[in-house]
Amino acid sequence: MSGATELAARAGDRDPRVGLRAVAALRRLLEQLESVQVRNARNQGWSWQEIANELGVSRQAVHKKHGRH
Amino acid sequence: MFERFTKEARQVVTGAVGQAEGMGARRVDPEHLLLGLLEQEGSRASFALAALGLGERKESVRRAVREAHRRAGLSRAETDALAGLGIDVTDIVARVEAAHGVGAMAAGRAGAEPKSGHRPFGKGAKDILVCALRTAVTHRDRRIGDEHLLLALTLRPGIAAEILADHGVTYEALTRVLYGTGEAAAG
Repeated sequence: MSGATELAARAGDRDPRVGLRAVAALRRLLEQLESVQVRNARNQGWSWQEIANELGVSRQAVHKKHGRH
Repeated sequence: MFERFTKEARQVVTGAVGQAEGMGARRVDPEHLLLGLLEQEGSRASFALAALGLGERKESVRRAVREAHRRAGLSRAETDALAGLGIDVTDIVARVEAAHGVGAMAAGRAGAEPKSGHRPFGKGAKDILVCALRTAVTHRDRRIGDEHLLLALTLRPGIAAEILADHGVTYEALTRVLYGTGEAAAG
């Protein structure tokens, strides 16, 4: 089996455990990436509203998640 | 629950909170319990770790924890699962660090900053405490010692279990040095 075929086979694995674990890992990776980008935007003076617009969520949601309490 | 913890087990829990604070994490994770365990001296857990040759390799464990944290706190199993989707975590971390500095993707930084001094136990760390309780019951030990926390860390999948296994510390090896047997896992 070629490398590309093997990769495609693994990505489409029918075992739910493999697929679910990948999704959970992706979510964790996404959370970290979001945190990095929001912090960077705030450091550059972006408002919560501007950040919310780019992320496609409400200002309240992004502030609740990333704002200092 | 904590009333059944020995003095040593309480030290590990308190130490884990300190480790989380020191690393700038917003909650206590199983890795912080592992780092807390490494600080123990003259306890059942430190005896077991020394018996398995970890006495001289504590720094190697600490380094492995730091590296895993830098990779967004993802375990090797999680990194492999993402590789299965064609996502190279190492590459992503390298790109983010190139733009935002080393440690930008460090675990536990996501979300809001905690209220000063307040570091809650995350789900993973709570699971370890419950698993430690169950492990003590399995071995008919009346109290929960730091060795039960160590055993629990090897039973729950994640960074701590992977790093311990990489250093030869598994549930089977621990039960052998602690109880003189190789009993089945408590789950």
